[in-house]
Order: sequence, then C-alpha cells, then structure tokens
Amino acid sequence: MRKSKYSDIKSIFIDSVDNDNFVELPLTAFNYQTLEDSLNKPLKMILLFGKPGTGKSMILNRLYHNLKNIREIHYFDAPILSEKEFLKSIYESISSEKIPNNMRVNFDGLLKYVQYLKGKREIIFLLDECQLYSEALMEKIRLLSDTRVVKFVITLHKTENEDVIAKEHFKTRIWEIVELKNASIEDLEIYIQKKLIQKGFVEVANMFTPKDIKFIHQFTKGNFRETNKFLYTLFNIYEYYDIHSPEKLLGTKLSKKILEMTAIKIGYIHD
Amino acid sequence: MINIKELEKRWLKYKTKSFMLLAFMVTIIGSLIYGGYYILYKLDFGGSRKEHKKAVMSAVRVVDKNISMATPPPTHIPTATPTPTPTPIKKDIIQLAPNIPIVDFDNNRVDIKKKPIEVVDVKHKKKLVKRVKKHIRDKLAKKVKSKEHKKLKKVVVHKKKIENRRKKIDLKVTTNNYMSIMKEKFHKYRNPRDALLIAKAYYRAGNYKNSEIWALKANELDKNSEESWLLFAKSKDALGKRKEALKILIAYYNRTKSPNAKLLIEKISSKSK
Repeated sequence: MRKSKYSDIKSIFIDSVDNDNFVELPLTAFNYQTLEDSLNKPLKMILLFGKPGTGKSMILNRLYHNLKNIREIHYFDAPILSEKEFLKSIYESISSEKIPNNMRVNFDGLLKYVQYLKGKREIIFLLDECQLYSEALMEKIRLLSDTRVVKFVITLHKTENEDVIAKEHFKTRIWEIVELKNASIEDLEIYIQKKLIQKGFVEVANMFTPKDIKFIHQFTKGNFRETNKFLYTLFNIYEYYDIHSPEKLLGTKLSKKILEMTAIKIGYIHD
Repeated sequence: MINIKELEKRWLKYKTKSFMLLAFMVTIIGSLIYGGYYILYKLDFGGSRKEHKKAVMSAVRVVDKNISMATPPPTHIPTATPTPTPTPIKKDIIQLAPNIPIVDFDNNRVDIKKKPIEVVDVKHKKKLVKRVKKHIRDKLAKKVKSKEHKKLKKVVVHKKKIENRRKKIDLKVTTNNYMSIMKEKFHKYRNPRDALLIAKAYYRAGNYKNSEIWALKANELDKNSEESWLLFAKSKDALGKRKEALKILIAYYNRTKSPNAKLLIEKISSKSK
C-alpha cells in the first residue's frame, strides 16, 4: 500500500505540547509577552487561566523553552499529586540534589532552606494543571511564594479557577492574571495556515477557503484542541480516499462532503 | 483505519435529513406567506354578508326580469298546457321576494290544481280575454267550415262554455290590496325591507314618484341598503331627473365601489348620450 501525503499532514494536528509545533498568533503573542513581562516584576504568583484547549500548556512550554537558558526556571508539565513527591521535586529542582526514595522532604525544612536563599537566587516554577492539586498543597505553594525566592506560574482551567481564585489567600497573592481565550475565525485561519505552511504543505494550506474555516470554527468554537482533533480526522479521511479512491479528491479545494463527514465522525453533526 | 463506508452512509442519511428539513421549512414558509397573503388580500371577513347582499341584488334583478317578462301581453293563448317558465327563476322568486301581484282566492273560484294560474296585470287580463275570444272565434270559424252544421250548435255551446270558464278565471290582481297590506305592515314594524318592496311595486307599476318616496323611506331606515339607493336613483331617472340620479349614484359608488351602482351609472349615462 502506497503512503499518502495526508498521513504526514494529519500527524501535524496530533495534540501535543511541543515547542516546535507552537504557532504564534496575534492573540497568543500578546499573552506570551504579558506573561514574560510579569516574570520580571516582583510578583509571588502568576495565574494563567482559560478553558481547556486554549493553549495554556503551549504557552507555558514555550516560556520554559525560551527562558530555560536565561533564568532559573523549572517546568512541571504534569501535576504531582502526592505532597511528598511534590516537595521532593521542588527541593531537587532547587538544590539539584537527588533525594533517595526512602527519604522525604520536611516542609518546614524546605521553607527554611528557601528563606536562606533570599536575595541570592530567584527561582521560577511553572506548574501546569493546578486545578488537580489539593487545597493543602496549594497552601504550601502559597507559603513558599511568600518567601519571594520562589515564584510560581500556575495554570488553571477557567471553571476550576473560579472556585480556587475566590479564596482570599490566593486573591491577595496572585498579582498577575493572564486569561487565554478561544481563537476567532481570523485567528483560526492563521493557525491552520501556519501549521501547514511551517511543515511545507503550502498546497494543502491553500485548499482551505474562508467558508471552510468558518465551517470548522462553527463546531470547534476556535478551541485549538478541538480544531486539531477536527483537522486530524479530516486528513485521516483524506488519507483513506487518497489511497483507495483518489478520483474523489480531484478538486483543488476542500471537499464539503469530507468536511461534513468529519463533523459527523467527531459527533458535531448528528445523522 | 476509519470505516469510510459506514461514515458515507451516515453522511448520506444526514444529507437526506437536511434536504427534508429544508423542504419542510420551505413548505412552511411558503404556506405562511401564502396564508398571510390570503388573509390580507383574499379573505374578506364580511364576505358572507356581501355575498348575501350580492345574491339578494341578483335575485332582485331576476324578480325584475321575471316581472318585466310577465308585463308584455301574451302572444299565445293560454291553454291547458302551462307556459314554460324557467324553474330556477321561480325558485329565486319564492326565496327572495313575494310575488307582488297576489291572486285573491276568495273572489276567484278557480281550481288551482287543475288550471295553472297566469299571473297578469288588470290591463293584460282584459287584453287576454279579448285575445281568447278572438282566437276561439277564429277557431270556430274554421271548424264551421270543416264540420257539419249539426255540430255548430255544440261548438257554439262549447265556445260559450269556454268563454264562461274564462270569465270565471277572474285574475284580479290585488296590487292595491298588496300595497295597503304592505303599507300597514310597514307602519306597524317600520321594516326597511317592506318600504323597499313597496317602492319596487310602485316602480314596476310606473308610479315613479311614489317609488322615489318609498325608496327614500327604506334608505332612511337602512343607509347601507344598496337596493334602496339604486331604486331611488332609478326612480329619479324615470322621473327625468337624470342628473340627480347620476349624482346620487356617483356618491354611492365612491363610497362603496358597488359594481351594481357602476352598471347603473353606465346605463343612465349611456341613455343621456
């Protein structure tokens, strides 16, 4: 069986937090800059929040990759739910020492250690998916940030955020809030075009008409995760036709039928 | 690998449903538009009243026609065979207006079941009797020539019998009775319809002055009665007041856009040319 070009195209839209796949849009560029600027301010905590699929992890990942060689920055892409493990990871990141498995980090000891570093170092921790952390652990994060040695950038889903942010202790400590929103139709068009063009599929990028973008946006609401899912499925169907009945793919524009089939497949349209 | 066959089937189902929905929507919208149009422009809520009025008008015209048909002297001798009259007209007369000339059954001993009654005017009755006599005379003369002298007596007797019998058919038209009854009725109930019937009777009798008065009375009681307007105008016209008649009709037509009024205007106007 011959390989279709659509196999490579669909892989572009596999949902991953990869700095190479980052697509800079006017909106995300602004948010990224706001976030980077806030790191230079004497803030204790920075909150990055938005609905799932709005690109929070992507921005956090980009921030880490851009600053990792300039500043002391640590990125926890997956939440560490155990308090023991979390404190251990924080200590290991700061001290660059490996703690044996049979030992545990005492929080008071960690706090004293961090306070000892005051004025000497400024450490940034990027914590993704913070809505999964327990309240007790969040309280410890707050106490660590109070030392002004450790700065936390945390991401929250908007719905959970509304619950967490309401708590007084967070209200007083979070000094910068960056909210991420879904892409507009124009942003979505740029996103799709850039994604394809940066991987060399200019011809395929030209297949998308504003009407097609509008059709996709109608279902995905500009959510990047949903858009990726849609485009992955779309090119998966294209791949099938390209291999089994290429005569059905003669047009230079996207097939309306395949777009609709994609929406049916994902469940946006009910047959 | 994606199951394209099944997906295509689902897509086809979706398209069919979409098409059906679209067709349904178009039908609904079309029906609504047509319904709205029908309600706004076609459906006249007062239609039944108007139609009724129209029917009355046409019936009145039929009555007029019928009466005018009866007015000229009969060209045929009334025999035992009834004169053919169109049944629907008769039906209309019964329904809508009483036959103005009424047979006075008390004064006339006529077997109605056996002999059809010809409803005629007094003048016509006299003419009719004369014509009957003449006809019988002619007939007898022919018979005398063809038959033997013996039979002559019988024929004469027969002639006499016929004459007597014809005399018995005293078609006394009770126009005066009708008028007095109707007037009495009108004074009792003040019904504009009665006034209109009186006006009509006067008009038919050629008494246009009175028909004008009674049409006016009917109109005073019911301003919307088209018949009263038209009859008033017709009476005026008959009295030679053509300009006045036209003035009245035009005023009425401008108000109601009545096709009957228009017709009458055209009729009167054409006469004046």
